[in-house]
Amino acid sequence: MHIEVEETAVGPVRLFRINTGSCNGCDVELAVTSAVTEFDVEQLGCRYTESAHEADIVLITGPLTIRARDEVLRLYAQAPRDKVTVAVGVCPVSGGVFRDSYAVDGPIERHLPVDVNIPGCPPRPQALLAGIGAALEIRRARRDGEEPARNPDHRKHHGTDNFPARGRMSYDAKACVDCRMCRHVCAAGAIRFEAGDGGVRLTLWHNSCVFCGLCSHYCPTGALSVTGDWRLDHRAADAFTQIERGEVPYAPCTGCGEAIIPTAPQLLHAAFRRPNPEIEKLKNLCPACRQLMSIGVPRR
Amino acid sequence: MTTKIIELGAHQLALEEPMYFRVKLEGDRVADLDVLPGQVHRGMEHLVMRRNLYQNITLLERLCSLCSNSHPSTFCAAVEEVAGIAIPERAEYLRAVADEIKRIASHLFCCAVQANAIGETPLFRRIMEVREIMQRAKEAIYGNRMDLAANVIGGVRYDLTPEAAAYLAGAMEEMKRPLDELYLQFGNNPALMARMAWVGVLPREAAVECAVVGPVARACGIDYDVRKKSPYGAYDRLKFEVPSQTAGDVRARNLVRLAEARQSVSLIEQCLAQLPAGPLCADNLPEIPAGEAIAKSEAPRGELMYYLRTDGSDFPVRLKWRVPSYMNWDALKVMLKGEPVGNIPLIVNSIDPCIACTDR
Repeated sequence: MHIEVEETAVGPVRLFRINTGSCNGCDVELAVTSAVTEFDVEQLGCRYTESAHEADIVLITGPLTIRARDEVLRLYAQAPRDKVTVAVGVCPVSGGVFRDSYAVDGPIERHLPVDVNIPGCPPRPQALLAGIGAALEIRRARRDGEEPARNPDHRKHHGTDNFPARGRMSYDAKACVDCRMCRHVCAAGAIRFEAGDGGVRLTLWHNSCVFCGLCSHYCPTGALSVTGDWRLDHRAADAFTQIERGEVPYAPCTGCGEAIIPTAPQLLHAAFRRPNPEIEKLKNLCPACRQLMSIGVPRR
Repeated sequence: MTTKIIELGAHQLALEEPMYFRVKLEGDRVADLDVLPGQVHRGMEHLVMRRNLYQNITLLERLCSLCSNSHPSTFCAAVEEVAGIAIPERAEYLRAVADEIKRIASHLFCCAVQANAIGETPLFRRIMEVREIMQRAKEAIYGNRMDLAANVIGGVRYDLTPEAAAYLAGAMEEMKRPLDELYLQFGNNPALMARMAWVGVLPREAAVECAVVGPVARACGIDYDVRKKSPYGAYDRLKFEVPSQTAGDVRARNLVRLAEARQSVSLIEQCLAQLPAGPLCADNLPEIPAGEAIAKSEAPRGELMYYLRTDGSDFPVRLKWRVPSYMNWDALKVMLKGEPVGNIPLIVNSIDPCIACTDR
């Protein structure tokens, strides 16, 4: 028997969390949104439930391990059909640092539809509330029989508000020397380099990035930097547009004309502190011409 | 008496993580139990061999987010041992600061979850509010509330400016009263006593037999703490006590945790007072040669041990770790035997099981 219940303003929206094998970071932060007044989901008119049958919004954490899969799908199927699904943290979307493991069966979208992603590792409670807010929007729109607005322009660029939280990475192609140390140290494989006709392109996917900042730590020129922009929640349909991208153009070597990546001024400053015009000349030379200029013959 | 077998999962046990038990009941008492592990198995031992040493710093920090600093710092210590890298003294102190900050937050979370498990919601919220002081401090200093990203091979990658140090000192001052107050509550509050004293008892002999570690061991009168027994980093220059209890019950475990958190406050204050000037990271790091090393540390849940073997490349050939929860959850069989079903969530949470660490 199916009973139509008119939704009343007082009934809280029920949140149900499913841990698909997470490191528990997102889960602990979600616990904060049930316990700490400042971040309590009650301010959004929500409440947590321990019963899947009551779920209005399902919050999914973790990269989906093979061992947990059946139980996760069983719980998910128990939740009402009109639930809104939120992927919390980058793990459900991309696997995060656990991608490529034999024991992981993500991304979760292969198994169930996701509505909202909240990138972060883990997302701070403010980001969780923003993402849950986005899920509420979707729920409301669906109930009213509307298509929820895509890309609502609600994203505030908070800068650092009260704390310098590690947020989205920012890339300055002008400072990049294509050394690719960032890609080498990235545990999540979030950074990709592609050599094109006109230059080398870096793409960093915010749904894979775990916001550890190691790329920026090892970047010799400061081309990659951590911003305080933590407000990254988005519709799951827009997952692949959440990127940071830039291209370092090739320039001809002033000696032989070969297409090279010129040395960024930042690297010259790092290496020579106060480069003189003579040193400045080096930056547009290919390695062979550089050796020719400094020691008279190409080495080897 | 009827014998019955039931299965309990994360949602029945008020756990953050998926852990399943098959419990054999006689009447309404627990006769035996099996832990059904593996839900959080992410293939970490395989993954660490496919990531280079740099990538493993970030990967291992996500082995478990509650003891997230212990993993990379112990891993870096193992790499440094293999390569013979001496880290700067300032880095040793800063690693200790990060570890102790995480310890306070982790212990408070454990106590909060137990309060929740016995329906003491106001106390649960109160402890979580106190824990927020630590969460705010972590975010202010490291930029993240769980994963600090404090360690690199050869040292640390964060600094405490005088302003940050003063801020942290203020946060520590703010922690003292609530921690003392919580200690008294967990020790004397009749409502908590009724639920926690003489519950989930682990006798000392059984504790030795199960080789439990951390607060679970220290609550049974075994004063084993890696920071004291084989000091690493800055701990040989810091003064602290290893709190212990003898009752071996849920109450004793929580008293050990809260007393330890109080010690951690003092440790952080000492670090701030003694913090030597100097570099944050050893410069001119050598190539990591072929070799093997063991590194140990005292994680919030107890002794954490890393074994690392390298072959001269920048990928580990083998990385294996023994995490504290592995031994501690074996002792659950002893603690739960004869207990009523209603006590299962509390007792399971009282060992502060870290499933992410153990299943990896």
